[in-house]
Amino acid sequence: MIIEIDNLTKMYGKKAGCWEINLSVRGGQIFGFLGPNGAGKSTLVKMLVGLLFPTSGTARILGKPLGNLEIRRKVGFLPENFRYQDWLTGEELLVFHASLYKMSRAEKALRVPAVLKLVGLGDKGKQKVGSYSKGMQQRVGLACALLPDPELIFLDEPTSALDPLGRREVRQIMLELRDRGKTVFLNSHLLSEIEMICDRVAIINKGRIVTEGALRELLAGAVEVEMQVEGLSPPMLDELSALCGSFKAEGSLIRLSLRNKGDIPALAEAVVRNGGKLFSLKSRQNSLEDLFIDLVKVGDEEC
Amino acid sequence: MLTIAALTFKEVVRRRILLVTIVLAVAFLSLYGTGVHYGYKDMAGSSGIGPMQALIAPMFLSIGLYFGSFIIAFLAVMAAVGSISGEIENGVIYAIVPRPLKRLDIILGKFIGYGLMLSVFASIFYVAVLLIVHYNTGLNAPVRVSAIGLFCLQPVILLALTMFGTTFLSTLANGIGSFMLYAVGVVGGMLEQIGHLAQSQVLVNIGIVSSLVMPADSVYRKIVYTLLSAPGASFSSLMLGPFGSVSEPSVWMLVYTGFYVLFFLAMAIKIFSRRDI
Repeated sequence: MIIEIDNLTKMYGKKAGCWEINLSVRGGQIFGFLGPNGAGKSTLVKMLVGLLFPTSGTARILGKPLGNLEIRRKVGFLPENFRYQDWLTGEELLVFHASLYKMSRAEKALRVPAVLKLVGLGDKGKQKVGSYSKGMQQRVGLACALLPDPELIFLDEPTSALDPLGRREVRQIMLELRDRGKTVFLNSHLLSEIEMICDRVAIINKGRIVTEGALRELLAGAVEVEMQVEGLSPPMLDELSALCGSFKAEGSLIRLSLRNKGDIPALAEAVVRNGGKLFSLKSRQNSLEDLFIDLVKVGDEEC
Repeated sequence: MLTIAALTFKEVVRRRILLVTIVLAVAFLSLYGTGVHYGYKDMAGSSGIGPMQALIAPMFLSIGLYFGSFIIAFLAVMAAVGSISGEIENGVIYAIVPRPLKRLDIILGKFIGYGLMLSVFASIFYVAVLLIVHYNTGLNAPVRVSAIGLFCLQPVILLALTMFGTTFLSTLANGIGSFMLYAVGVVGGMLEQIGHLAQSQVLVNIGIVSSLVMPADSVYRKIVYTLLSAPGASFSSLMLGPFGSVSEPSVWMLVYTGFYVLFFLAMAIKIFSRRDI
């Protein structure tokens, strides 16, 4: 495992920033970490990169406990509230970070232009960071994080300041990293972005993990179905209820949620067997947004 | 550590902190030099004032060193006041702390960077004051390396204190706190000298306590005593009033000052190493 988190908790006074987080992230994947604002996403990442100290629990990065300096050489991090020394040029900033990574002069000469080119700032290296747009500053921050060719890279809202084209480029960079066997821990509330590129996701709400798993599996579950049926009868409704638990009927329109897509034929059979006329049946796979909203809503109701 | 020190030094130069300070220091030294020149020359032209010239030259020197200490102390506080708190407030430090370096390296690197800049500046300032007084009055105050070292020590004391404050206070609170403490040392030092003149033990004791709280002023007193009141000097430090030093602060005061700097530096490292960012 690249990341192993065991009961990690961070308390801010009496308020839990993160509460007993347990998470394992395998190598060579893009792991999406989702949650509404203030859910504890950045708190967890900050603990993992050494900005915050956990109140209790442990975590291991690349097999070593948090804070191991040798491991930090293999870890990149793009913070959410990025800001860089605006009096340095892009190149100077990267050379400074390369020095912090203890890279040799030859490595600096190789990596600095390479990462600048990778993030689309190849011809902007001589400009002062202060003259960069917000999007360019985010790109140079990404370049800093990519500098040591890290095994693991934490990206905290890496596309928040980028335009659609920039977002696509950053997604491409993340996919290329994964293809090279690197691990990307992507912290974001942009669900479409997560849905597009992540292999696994965890959703955090109010400091607790509410679900975690392979994105495909999480989305494979529930299916929304809408049917236009005439001739509704109590036995038919009973049978539908047995198949899906609960449903909504407005006139001849029935909306229900199935646990598995494979139950759709049984649904149609139940209508026909009970004398109903099925005029239309539309199914829609649950999106990550549906799943996210359901889980966050349930969490809020429980609280 | 050296990477942070080099960046800190570069920051002082690039952000024109050093340039502004040099320009203002040149303005101060020009004004001071003009004052010394004409003050001494006009005095020479007056009848019956000859013996006073021997006393006024060391007074010029002590005033130059006193206000020079003041300017450099301000530079020390202003440079370091937000060195950690400011970077936390604006977010620059988020990209630095997760890199493979200890937090101790960040504190020490900044301390070395600022300390080096302050020491270079203080040394040049010290020599400039001595040369201005020498060429205008003929006063032969010895240019001692130990005195230059002490002159450089003054801002380093303020630097250690300010770096301690910046690890847990906001930039504004730290700036106010550091200046207030410096003021305590300055006022206490003056009261001690007045206490000697007025033979008031209470004022002397206030001075001693204040020099323990902020030893920068006692370092200044030691420099002045070494230069102007050492055995063989032809004038009395009593004539220098609050700018002079009747008694020489002991070597133990310097030892205390050394521990003072180390203590606040160690506390800065300790607090920052445990701080959530």
